[in-house]
Amino acid sequence: MIDKIDNKMKNEINDHAKIHDMLINGLITTADALTMLTDLDSYKITFEKVSDEEKLEDIMKELDELIGLSKVKNLVKEIQAFSEIQKKREEEKLLAEPQVLHMIFKGNPGTGKTTVARLLGKIFKHIGILEKGHTVEVERADLVGEYIGHTAQKTRDQIKRARGGILFVDEAYSLGRGGEKDFGKEAIDTLVKAMEDYKDDLIVILAGYKDEMDWFLQINPGLRSRFPIQIEFNDYSVDELMQIAKMMAEKRQYRFSPESLLKFEDILQSSMNNMFYNKLGNARLVRNMIEKAIRRQALRLVSQSKISRISREDLLQIKPEDIPIDLSEFGGGH
Amino acid sequence: MKRCAIIGKTNVGKTLFLINFAEYLGVKSFDVEFIDNEGSKTSEKFIPKTAISRLVDKNPHKTRCIQSIIINVPVGKGKKKIKIIDTSGFIDGIHPNVEVRKAISQTLTTVRDSDIILHIIDASAAKNKDLPSSMGEVDYQIAQFAQLKKGYAILANKMDLSGSSEGFEKIKQEFSGNLIFPISALHKTGFKEVKIFVIHNI
Repeated sequence: MIDKIDNKMKNEINDHAKIHDMLINGLITTADALTMLTDLDSYKITFEKVSDEEKLEDIMKELDELIGLSKVKNLVKEIQAFSEIQKKREEEKLLAEPQVLHMIFKGNPGTGKTTVARLLGKIFKHIGILEKGHTVEVERADLVGEYIGHTAQKTRDQIKRARGGILFVDEAYSLGRGGEKDFGKEAIDTLVKAMEDYKDDLIVILAGYKDEMDWFLQINPGLRSRFPIQIEFNDYSVDELMQIAKMMAEKRQYRFSPESLLKFEDILQSSMNNMFYNKLGNARLVRNMIEKAIRRQALRLVSQSKISRISREDLLQIKPEDIPIDLSEFGGGH
Repeated sequence: MKRCAIIGKTNVGKTLFLINFAEYLGVKSFDVEFIDNEGSKTSEKFIPKTAISRLVDKNPHKTRCIQSIIINVPVGKGKKKIKIIDTSGFIDGIHPNVEVRKAISQTLTTVRDSDIILHIIDASAAKNKDLPSSMGEVDYQIAQFAQLKKGYAILANKMDLSGSSEGFEKIKQEFSGNLIFPISALHKTGFKEVKIFVIHNI
């Protein structure tokens, strides 16, 4: 009966409804319908697998597009290769120990720690290390309670939320403050226990300023061995920050005029000498400056519209006068 | 809830298997849900005996709609619910009646949505080529399609009839590589293995 339908027609049959229609209209036999459904469904299964890989490529591309961060990129490639080989080893019935992937991220604000953590979650999901791959971002206040016993409970709640993904503890060193009697210690103990209990199902990342994190690890010597991966996020150079600025503006569909690029660079250069530079926030400072510039451009255009028409070019361009000079509102200088 | 579809050619004993297997699993009264080929639902309560007289017939294509019952199966220490779905029989070739063709189309949808497939073949007619319930092209295609599913088993039915042992050998030969259980839906033999298989897959 299959000869009623030539191959060309068969290729065009791309959905179940059509197959069912032909069956009901008596054009094909049940066996034909089953053959087509089998082809269609097995095609779908392989197709879904491919699209999974495509998505991984997208995420890897996103990671690659991050400026700098070469250490992180190498680490991800290592882990990816390692887990692939582990799978092959499992197939050959060789010993395949799961890797301990808890990490410490050291660096100033705005050096990409959170961004990288979120991407890692997605990547680990795709290569099968984590089930869900979401990132739960917490800080001291989310983990430490106000009375005895409260802390363990609060910390456990956050761990529960993070299972299958990444628990990202920002400014983790603050858990070490306050000495022996502080509840921060209890939070650390609960975390360490959870890392053992859910070692196949949870990755913990402790993040914070380099000096503070080093101090934190010194007073908690047991932690160092439990976090075998330590990554330093260096401050961006002015060149790198300028690249980031251009990319951020592009993503928002804005464009710097050549003069405003120069001015932007000048401001970044002089901010390096600001005594609060490490608090200004690197890439975050750039983002805040761009967002401020966009608002100032809007204000300029609105007042301009009373005199002349706003062109498309006007909407796109950020002029030098739009760029904020005073950085104090972004956390510096006070 | 996992879904288990009973499929096969017409008159191989799908409905009788459903009723007797459910009774074997401890169902005292049946809440049967019927979905006709237009998609409308009705439900009726039966005891096993009346169920057989009402739902089973010697003539082909007695079952024109999807009949299903929900059964509690003991799994480990607890119980799990499973929906067992009886379907309209397949035929080789094209059926002249559009209603039957619609029912077959509906069956295919059910099969695609099911987790477990119990494929019934009439062992007593396996050597014979002419009966409506004889093994045919569509059986091979079912086996192909079922490779995409996790739980798939062939039930060689009517093992109580003469000629069935040769038929069973033939089925084993033709469908080697698949799980095949010899059963008699009428006398409830071979149900233990089927039960183990179903429990293993939920």
